[in-house]
Amino acid sequence: MKAMQRKVNERYMITASLVFFLIHSMQIGIGILSYQQDIVKSAGNDSWIAVIFAGLIVHIIIWMMYKILKNGKGDLITIHYDLFGKWLGGIFSLIWIIYYWAIGLVVIRSYLEVVQVWMFPDISIWQFSLIFLSLVYYLLIGGFRVVTGICFLGVVIPAYLLLTLIFPIEFTEFRNLLPIWNHSLKDISLATKDMTLSYLGLSTLLMFYPYLKNPERSQKWAHGGNLLTMLLYAGLMILSIAYFGQGYLSRIIWPTLTMWKIVELPFVERFEYVGISSWALIILPNICLSFWAASRGVRQLLRFSQRKALIGMLLMTWIIIYFLQERQQIEMLSSYVSMTGFYLIVIYLPLLFVFSYLRLLRR
Amino acid sequence: MRIHRWYKKKKKNDNQQKDNINPEVDDSLESLIKQMKVSNDFIYFKNDQSPQPIHLYYFMSLVDSEIIHRDILPYLNRESLTSLQKLKQELPIENIEITSDVNKIEQKVLRGSIIIQLDKSSTEVALIRAELNKAREVSLPEVEFSVVGPKESFVESLDTNLNLIRKRLPIPELQIAEYSVGKLSKTRVAVVSIEGITNEENVNTVKQRIQAIEFDTINDSSYIVQLITDNKNSPFPQLIDTERPDRIASVLAEGKVAILVDGAPHGILGPTTFIEFFSAFEDYFLNWITASFFRLIRLFAVIFSILITPIYVAVLTYHYELIPKDLVSILVISRREIPLPPILEAIFLEIAIELLREAGARLPTKVGQTIGIVGGIVIGTASVEAGLTSNVLLIIVALAALASFTTPVYKMGNTIRLIRFPFLIFAHFWGLLGVAICFCFTITHLLKLTSLGRPFLEPIFPPRISDLKDAVIRLPFNFQAKRPIQLQTEDTMRFKQNKAKDKREIDE
Repeated sequence: MKAMQRKVNERYMITASLVFFLIHSMQIGIGILSYQQDIVKSAGNDSWIAVIFAGLIVHIIIWMMYKILKNGKGDLITIHYDLFGKWLGGIFSLIWIIYYWAIGLVVIRSYLEVVQVWMFPDISIWQFSLIFLSLVYYLLIGGFRVVTGICFLGVVIPAYLLLTLIFPIEFTEFRNLLPIWNHSLKDISLATKDMTLSYLGLSTLLMFYPYLKNPERSQKWAHGGNLLTMLLYAGLMILSIAYFGQGYLSRIIWPTLTMWKIVELPFVERFEYVGISSWALIILPNICLSFWAASRGVRQLLRFSQRKALIGMLLMTWIIIYFLQERQQIEMLSSYVSMTGFYLIVIYLPLLFVFSYLRLLRR
Repeated sequence: MRIHRWYKKKKKNDNQQKDNINPEVDDSLESLIKQMKVSNDFIYFKNDQSPQPIHLYYFMSLVDSEIIHRDILPYLNRESLTSLQKLKQELPIENIEITSDVNKIEQKVLRGSIIIQLDKSSTEVALIRAELNKAREVSLPEVEFSVVGPKESFVESLDTNLNLIRKRLPIPELQIAEYSVGKLSKTRVAVVSIEGITNEENVNTVKQRIQAIEFDTINDSSYIVQLITDNKNSPFPQLIDTERPDRIASVLAEGKVAILVDGAPHGILGPTTFIEFFSAFEDYFLNWITASFFRLIRLFAVIFSILITPIYVAVLTYHYELIPKDLVSILVISRREIPLPPILEAIFLEIAIELLREAGARLPTKVGQTIGIVGGIVIGTASVEAGLTSNVLLIIVALAALASFTTPVYKMGNTIRLIRFPFLIFAHFWGLLGVAICFCFTITHLLKLTSLGRPFLEPIFPPRISDLKDAVIRLPFNFQAKRPIQLQTEDTMRFKQNKAKDKREIDE
């Protein structure tokens, strides 16, 4: 039985500025390949406004998170423990742990689905996920510093993919965006709600906060990371609407991938193969950080070895991935996890924020 | 886990064993001499001509006979020689030691000292240094050759090597700590650092690791590298070895620690970074623009060398659609008659290149060159004509091999050729996706590596922008006023930075 860790050894801490990459890499993942469809269905050519609104909401959530963490001094598990006691706090913590783990599961399965549809229809799922999960294990036993490293490289190395967005510009029609604001507030807010789901990865901040050197100074970097995500989403949304037009856009599942089909270089055609392969490096931080948060949570909650918790989780993931074969199942799981995330972050976190403030005031 | 424990237990047992190889010998001077006399090159000689009889003992194979004949024997015939103290005054040799410590006597005589005893029964003797120093002349660097710049390289003698470094850094702060490593070889290992610049922690890490070494014979610096490196199970070297004294002097000034080993023509440098393995020392002799260009070329060569064959295999196995129309016809023509799948074709050629390289490295230089050329041309053309491999792949593999040789550090070049093979296998199973996964494995591994406890991938991760001044590109010297953050030096400034940075106005 280990003690609940409130302070992390300084040797394992990371610089505040790296929060930028942790937040950003966690937000950009498998979602950016397909987020357009749902949003365009309700907000049409005004989708990009919804994207910005959602981004602003997430900024407020980040601010709240920092307030909670600053008051609580520790990670989410210790805050739960302090506020709600052993049992109730434990149950809340468990829900979060399962949520973190489920993010990892959904991301890896959705990525495999993209691979199945676009590259290898008959790839052996269990073999591939075995290798991929062992990569995750190999990475995670290196500790949080290595996780941060992969988040950083997972942003920097695939950044070259942004250049490929130049190719579709030739075929865009920016008049598709007009008229601006021709949707009702209800439509936009519905789209905003859907769009918030794409930003949700940032909740792992609640777990890695004790690992930050100068956590106060990291807040601006967290906001910066979210800002970059927002700009990327908004830019890509504008480009997609201009390229496809809203009618067609609402019917394609993976617009970002479809856009890559137009890329043509003297030595490469069908760029989506290169893109999807590079995407492995983009989803790796997602998976690693969420499994890290989940296993760290188990370690804090049950005072159990993080390594063993991680092995257990990865094995469970492997088995579940094997049984998730149908697209409907994957979609269902994905939407469940997203909805849970939405309630946890947009509804539960503000409540926690209020609660922690009341507690502070009473003291 | 159990194996691990067993290993630990075994280690403990080893420690309990005495360092002495032959424990039966007791610790008296007499028995020591008796033990040594068994060897035929151990000389015992009694000087009867002198007024006072003198006993001399030494290893013929270790001492310089000229020193004995010229500087010792003539002075022994004098009458005034009645005690060892007198002897010390008479002989024209500094640093004569008078001792009765048998361990010390044993150590010294085995390093080429002469024992002088006045009375056969006395335990007190004088030790005179007369060792024979036979070393190669300082010659041209062969592994890290540079067209411009200094052309001296280390030799197998520690003293000569230290001299080469001290000549370049004539400051009292240059400190050398010497250790004796190896149960049998008792190799002299020197840790070189500059006081006030080098981080104490780094120096202590090196010293601790060297002192902790348990090994019998240290024959080269690469033994030390393998024994003190952070991750022994990594194909990537984590300490640079160099044969250039100028490189060592320069990085010592930067704040690194250097290790020199007696009998090894290479020095070791640490802590280092991944990027540093791709910087040749010649980069500092050239103008910064040219140097940066060559560094970029080298970096590109590395990426090309690792990825090109796997990409070929991936594309031709799974993703034909990826190739543009004009290019596909060339590939089809060249692969039309080849019965093998791309992976076998690639592995066949890669192994052929490895064979040529290995054969070329093992054979004497002249023959080696011939083998390289003949093998390359004959086997290459023949295998294409026989329809075993395609022309295109032959070009690709040859270029990749060539690119891997651009790495300035030999050990890193080997690693690069090695990690091509896992990439190839992954490419065969999952095409480009496999290449990406293998790439992820590689960078994860690199992220986990440390060099003397400092991050290996720095300045990429952790990102330190100011250290990028001498990483992928090398900025001009006036930008290099600060020592790298990586080394956590005690004095962070190399020299005073020129403050006049404002731009000059046109024609003023």
